[in-house]
Amino acid sequence: MRLSIRKSLILLCVGGFLLALLASLSMGRYPIGLPELARLILPHLGLGGYVGPAPSEMQMVFWNIRVPRILMSIAVGSGISIAGVVFQALFRNPLAAPDILGVTAGSCFGAALSIMFFTRMALGVQGFAFAFGVFAVSIAYLLAERSWDRSTSVLVITGIVVSAVFQAGVSILMYLADPYDQLAKIVFWIMGSFHVASWAKVQVTLPVVVVGSVLLGLFGWRLNIMTQSEEEALSLGVDVFRWRMFYVVTSTLIVASSVAAVGTISWVGLIVPHIARYLVGTEHRRLIPTAAFVGGGFLLVMDTVARTISASEIPISIITSLIGAPFLGYLVMRRRRNGCADVG
Amino acid sequence: MSVEINGLTAGYGSAMVLHDISVEIGAGRICALIGHNGSGKTTLMRCINGLLKPSKGKITVSGRDVSRMRRNEMARLISLVPQGGHSPFQFTSLEMVLMGGATRVKPWASPCAVERRLAADVCREVGVFELADTPFNTLSGGQKQLVMLARALYQNAPVMLLDEPNSHLDFSNQHKTMGLMRRFVKERGVTALISLHDPNLALSYADDAVLLKQGRVVAAGPAAEVMDDEHLREAIGGNLMLDRTVSGVRVVVPRDINGNG
Repeated sequence: MRLSIRKSLILLCVGGFLLALLASLSMGRYPIGLPELARLILPHLGLGGYVGPAPSEMQMVFWNIRVPRILMSIAVGSGISIAGVVFQALFRNPLAAPDILGVTAGSCFGAALSIMFFTRMALGVQGFAFAFGVFAVSIAYLLAERSWDRSTSVLVITGIVVSAVFQAGVSILMYLADPYDQLAKIVFWIMGSFHVASWAKVQVTLPVVVVGSVLLGLFGWRLNIMTQSEEEALSLGVDVFRWRMFYVVTSTLIVASSVAAVGTISWVGLIVPHIARYLVGTEHRRLIPTAAFVGGGFLLVMDTVARTISASEIPISIITSLIGAPFLGYLVMRRRRNGCADVG
Repeated sequence: MSVEINGLTAGYGSAMVLHDISVEIGAGRICALIGHNGSGKTTLMRCINGLLKPSKGKITVSGRDVSRMRRNEMARLISLVPQGGHSPFQFTSLEMVLMGGATRVKPWASPCAVERRLAADVCREVGVFELADTPFNTLSGGQKQLVMLARALYQNAPVMLLDEPNSHLDFSNQHKTMGLMRRFVKERGVTALISLHDPNLALSYADDAVLLKQGRVVAAGPAAEVMDDEHLREAIGGNLMLDRTVSGVRVVVPRDINGNG
């Protein structure tokens, strides 16, 4: 019975995703109806003979603004959700989020630094945010490696330390920023938005997210063992320290490239793994693709809401926080009732 | 496969827990490790399993130095049944057992149909096949212990370490676990080192016994020979004595149930 409910839910999710994709392609400040969608897409599939061409203005909006934005939201949602699954498994904590090692704080600092001092550099805000996100996690990892205790709890502490330092750095930069120009740019960047999505950003971000996600999906079964205590995992023949490094590096690259492209995306990496776990269970070989699918669909819907609900676009993190925070409250209540850490 | 421990000294930081331990555990035998809490039983198991580096001494399994082995090599030789058993995530019992096959599964793969069948067979042997799809964390302490035992057996290592496998079990499950171990040692020829608090379980099921006190060996050898009044008093406490039931079974009992001994 339980299985059939899960199968129905999975089918519902697939149907919902396709519906959301269609709605997202169609909705926006420039509405595009279904016949126009056919006129935009079919010629690219070699079926242009059946429909006439769409107006050039519509073609421009659709192919240069909407499609890259949708691709970006799906890629970022999938990538961050997979990273959430991985970090929750590595830290043996269902409430761990992908920014636990300071990647988001580092990226925010890099972006703020670039906005204030390096506006003309070729690396740009995206490059700075990516580099500092990776740099922050590297410091947290190296600090933990120098400790005599190589457990994940030390890594959590060094992650908190690094996050705090970079957050302080962001605050200093915001304090020093020009309030009429730089400060607003920094604040909007931190709140995250897909309105900055472009083909150039898709070309940089998508390969990292796709390659990283495929790698994590391939090595998903090992994550089951990584959720056991360190001594158990070692006794089962898994070199915990080597594998932890692989998972942290791959997930960090995914999160850093995602955050660098569109800014902070709150809560997605925390709540989507729970939804995916509810659908297919904890076995990571199944969980990772499910989280990718649910995460991509979730952020696609959130972004569609963010750009259509009001006249001016709402930063994506506001929407994801409004949904994510109550959901976390629900999980905590459920955890108390179950007396079990696995809240998913 | 035999396990030889020569001049082992080990501990945590500057606090040494084990002092100059030299013991040989014979192949295809059950060896009980007996001692107070803090006598060094778990530390000894951690050293054998390569989880703790000794300060001095050497441990070999069939002549191979464990300190020179890689993790997957060691897991092919030694399996561990940890105390208790808890998973932060809700795996099914079968998924927990399948983790025991990590050394046989390629890093990019998951267990194939053959491996799944093998795991199911082991579950059937241990008596937990009906629990295969049950979430591990919802099982009772005894059932969890049996699932962990199934995982170690599925790992298929010739040496098994069981760290206080009976600590959360009721009387009947304690004997069930030990009876299963007796059977597997006989059928599969594995060597088992089991840390125990109850000397009666050692007398009933173990071939050999190592009695520890404050990180030193009090006595080591065939269980029937080394578990005498003197050694038990020294390793476990002064109020114990060895007695015989009317049917001739040797049991360890308190000398004075009022605790005046």
